[in-house]
Amino acid sequence: MPELKLLTKDIDKKDLHKLSVYEETGGYGSLKKLFKKKPDEVIEMVKASGLRGRGGAGFPAGLKWSFLAKDVFPRYLCCNADESEPGTCKDRLLLEKTPHLLIEGMIACAYACKIETGYIYFRGEFQHASDLMDEALKEARAKNYLGKNIMGSGFDFEIHTHLGAGAYICGEESALLNSLEGRRGEPRLKPPFPAVEGLYSKPTVINNVETLCVVPYIINEGPEKYASYGTEKSKGSKLVSVSGHVKKPGNYEIEMGTTVRELIYELAGGIRNDNKLKAYIPGGSSTPMLPADLVDTPYDYESLAAAGSMLGSGALIVIDDQVNIVESTLRLASFYKHESCGKCTPCREGTRWMWQLLDGIHNGEGTNQQVDKLVDICDNISFKSFCPLGDAAVGPVASSIKYFREDYEALLKRNAEGTA
Amino acid sequence: MANDEVTLTIDGKTVTAPKGTMVVDAAKRVGIEIPVFCYHEKLGPFGCCRMCLVEVEKMPKMATACTLAVAPDMVVKTNTEKVEKAQKGVLEFTLLNHPLDCPVCDKGGECPLQENTFKFGSDDTRMEFNRAHQDKATPLSPVITIDRERCIACQRCTRYSDIIEQEQALVMLNRGFNNEVGTFDNQDYDTKFSGNVIDICPVGALTNTDFRFKARNWELKTADTLCAHCACNCNMTFSSRLNKFMRIQTRTNDHVDDGWICDKARFGYSFVESKNRILEARSRFNDEERVLETKDAIALTAQTLKKIADEHGPESIGLIGSPYATNEEAYLYQLMFRQGLKTNNIDHKAYEDLPGLPINHYDFEQVESSNLVLLIGSDPSEELPILDLRIRKAVTRKGVKLAFLNDQVTALDRFAETALRYDVGSDGDAIVALAGGLAEELGIEKGKGKGKGKEKEKSKNSCGIADKDMKALVELVRTSMKICVIYNPAALSAGSMVKLRQLLQTIGKIPTVECGAIPAAPATNALGAVDMGLLPSYYPGGLALTDADEIKKRFGEDSPLQAGLSAMDMIAKAESGELKALLVHRSNPVADFPGGERVASALKKLEFLAVHDMLETETTRLASVVLPSIGPGYDEGTTTNIGARVQYRKRGLVSESLADWQIISKMAGELGIERNYQSSFSITAEIAEKVRGYEDISKKTIKNEGLSRQAIPEVLGDLDGSVSDESKSKKGALRLRVASYLFANDKILDANTSLAHHFRSSTVHLNDKDAKKMKLEEGDAVTVSSAHGKVSATVAVGDRCNSGSVVIEKVSDEQGVSALQESAGISWVEISKE
Repeated sequence: MPELKLLTKDIDKKDLHKLSVYEETGGYGSLKKLFKKKPDEVIEMVKASGLRGRGGAGFPAGLKWSFLAKDVFPRYLCCNADESEPGTCKDRLLLEKTPHLLIEGMIACAYACKIETGYIYFRGEFQHASDLMDEALKEARAKNYLGKNIMGSGFDFEIHTHLGAGAYICGEESALLNSLEGRRGEPRLKPPFPAVEGLYSKPTVINNVETLCVVPYIINEGPEKYASYGTEKSKGSKLVSVSGHVKKPGNYEIEMGTTVRELIYELAGGIRNDNKLKAYIPGGSSTPMLPADLVDTPYDYESLAAAGSMLGSGALIVIDDQVNIVESTLRLASFYKHESCGKCTPCREGTRWMWQLLDGIHNGEGTNQQVDKLVDICDNISFKSFCPLGDAAVGPVASSIKYFREDYEALLKRNAEGTA
Repeated sequence: MANDEVTLTIDGKTVTAPKGTMVVDAAKRVGIEIPVFCYHEKLGPFGCCRMCLVEVEKMPKMATACTLAVAPDMVVKTNTEKVEKAQKGVLEFTLLNHPLDCPVCDKGGECPLQENTFKFGSDDTRMEFNRAHQDKATPLSPVITIDRERCIACQRCTRYSDIIEQEQALVMLNRGFNNEVGTFDNQDYDTKFSGNVIDICPVGALTNTDFRFKARNWELKTADTLCAHCACNCNMTFSSRLNKFMRIQTRTNDHVDDGWICDKARFGYSFVESKNRILEARSRFNDEERVLETKDAIALTAQTLKKIADEHGPESIGLIGSPYATNEEAYLYQLMFRQGLKTNNIDHKAYEDLPGLPINHYDFEQVESSNLVLLIGSDPSEELPILDLRIRKAVTRKGVKLAFLNDQVTALDRFAETALRYDVGSDGDAIVALAGGLAEELGIEKGKGKGKGKEKEKSKNSCGIADKDMKALVELVRTSMKICVIYNPAALSAGSMVKLRQLLQTIGKIPTVECGAIPAAPATNALGAVDMGLLPSYYPGGLALTDADEIKKRFGEDSPLQAGLSAMDMIAKAESGELKALLVHRSNPVADFPGGERVASALKKLEFLAVHDMLETETTRLASVVLPSIGPGYDEGTTTNIGARVQYRKRGLVSESLADWQIISKMAGELGIERNYQSSFSITAEIAEKVRGYEDISKKTIKNEGLSRQAIPEVLGDLDGSVSDESKSKKGALRLRVASYLFANDKILDANTSLAHHFRSSTVHLNDKDAKKMKLEEGDAVTVSSAHGKVSATVAVGDRCNSGSVVIEKVSDEQGVSALQESAGISWVEISKE
């Protein structure tokens, strides 16, 4: 099963991050077609392509653009490059290898949505990517791909970069806006949604790096071509970061609907030491883990949801049978305890309590009632926290108990034996 | 109306509420309580505590009732099993690391966390680990103590600092479980309104340092009363135990305070137990001081005043009444002097003022619904803090524009669309320029004499404001739909009050503008004092002396109709020997009126000086007879705030002394005015009968939220007889503006106040141009001197005032800044290095 390289066709080309090389590959070719269309036509194209947000929620991109409050200006475009989900490193690949593709995509989005100012919000650790982007922006400005009257189209657009300060929560779109405005990185109340009141209380489009990078393909090849790939409701290709106990971890661009088995065993070369697969986390650490017997699940939004998890940001974490699931879960619980922004009570208190309990169980001090209590705490956080971070923190804990309670019991047993 | 109302169902009950109402508030309408911690009506929806989760039909997830606006046909359920589990779960999280120190916590007994736990929580805890510990009692400022362990991170206090104060002084620090309330660089949180966070804290995390551990709240006796500091008259709850002052808290009245009080209200009440209080009457003749029975002092005062009036004529005696006194006290005092002693030598201030207004009298709520607020000479931040807060709200949340016409920069300037600064003393010119510009635009007042036109021209160039800036202000005023003019009579020069009234009339003539004004003199009951006729040319209700028939009808055939002397004129006549006797009620002319020592030496020449006051002052020391005043905390009566709302000030403590109204009515009795007042409300009833505008005021009508008095018609009569005698400028001399400072170290805020950290040293603010010219730098020690006196000060350089002017804040009585002030006209000062 080969990859479907719509975005990463030339990704290994030397110096692709430079404008001249990018142009050799046909880069910025979509702009001529773009400026011949009316903005609304572009939105319709993106709608027709079936492109869904690649950041995690999978919301149809074209629909999101069409929700912008009518006749309110200025509007803003924010590219979410705060790629912080454990397991995910696909945006980093695009940012570092092909920054101009993102710029090209952002120009298309801005043109379609009548936006004159865009921001790229980088994860705090993405200093290198941000430096490369600043260089790329400089080159693009020099060639009038950015700035006033782009390529004589009459359209003005400028992009600014901004580095976060190292908070997972700032990948949540409204927390990102707060952070970009210089406020505390905490999620905002919705409604109003960003499309109505976003950055500086103005209509704002927020899209993930990968989402925006798909747009030039749609302009160039037409939405029908893009929609011809994938499944009925999950169109096109998806960049998947495969990590964990595989022989060839890395980013793979696959057609939507490729099975997890193909991803693990064909593209990523199988499990290390040819061990048995125990579990996999399909869409980044916040998505519930699934057991090995669901390995034939097609990798698309609907199939993974049906299996009880999510496609999320497209980060497949593979866990082999050498692992006690409690240990992996404890690590993830520790991450969420650390990254909870503290705004809402269930997430702030619950993530710490879950971590305390898991730590105790992992140390062999747990009881069966505590495992039951963990399940109940998960229920008390789930869908009750202010933003999805609480739900994310619950994902690994609840799913690990659901599928691997025997791993918990093994530690409890050790405890019982130890004290006997 | 129907369009603005939404009907929905909550727990099977039908509820109708205005559009935009949150479900949590809608539920209250039908008696359904949805528990909250983070939600506060004045702060708006936030949704962080998750306590108010409810089920809503057709919504996949539970929703927070505090962030969910009502929608037509919405079906909300607050009592399902799912909701109960969510409430128990959230409370469990909230209490997880909350210390169990309720028995020693000030909040215990009035704690939303306690109450919600009893009502909605589980009986037991499932937490098996040690609770996390944080810093206990830590000073957040000298008046607020924070217990971080008790904090549930609801962010009410930090949102208050952000949304209400517009300061972001108190913020959340750190992330996640380690987040905490704090300040930048651990500085004190000591804004003017900091204490409100104590009231809105839903747990015992933010506590009143003065009150900590003094009493359990169920032992407190509370009085719903008013603040007696500035003229906002904010509502507050005064708590005592065993007749000892305990604490002050907010008491929401949206017509007045919008639910907030300033720190002076909350922490500035130690004067009720000051060592400096006057507890007994005394006399002092020929340097011999004697303690008197109050009844003897009453008789002595009344008889002496009568004797002098009989001997030298009624013009030889006078009254300086109090802008801090209640309406009842003010009314009685003018009655005693007018009807008992036949004089109109009655005043309460050292500036000009006039009763009534030529346009509407706006209240605080109108500030929010205007679209332009124009402040003239007013500095609400230092003079009327809760008005300041209301303006911040209007500008930041209601889209109201703010404009200044002032001689100094104020803390509100940063919210202003435009802030024009005239030279100190040029307020009259600036006002005329604005009025003239408007008249020109409107094409009115055309056929006026040439002289007038010239004056207009002159004023434009002479007040220190560029023509184009004034034009822009004219345009702003002209194009506003609804304008609220707020002016401070106490900051205007002699002669400016009439010009201001003309400006208001001109604004009133703009056909497209709805307009009103707030006369914002800072003293507690400054408006009441004017309304009650503590004026030399006006009877109560703004009755001018020329309106003889009406005066006679209301106040008796033999009411004196001869114009009286203003306070400053009385002091001048005391100096010249023409005034023989003076009664001063709760006022300290020696420290507060222009002149300083000159006032004292004039008062010393009087044959008889009676002072009726609450605390010892520079003036009581000169008195022949001192009468004890019980004052705020102990007194009862109505006051009229600057928004014309008449409210009832209740007593919080019981005094064994006679109330002021009893003393005044007994003195009046000695002078043949027999009344049989049973309580202060009997006087209120008489006021309703006699005073125009107060017809509807009664115990009943003002019971809860007070009542606005009716408009008092303006009669442009005499201006208290003040004459402008502009002193000549000397070369190198600067125009002095004495500015207000909220926390001045005076008799009310003495050394024992817990607000002493706000005390400031004497500072003279120089324009940087002048400083350069005079080779003075920030921090230089200087002497500021006028023809009459000297004041030591430290130089501050900046742009607080125009070049050629200086600003000195009145920071303490000791500073003696009044010595530099002329009784009328510009006060010129010189500055020399010490």
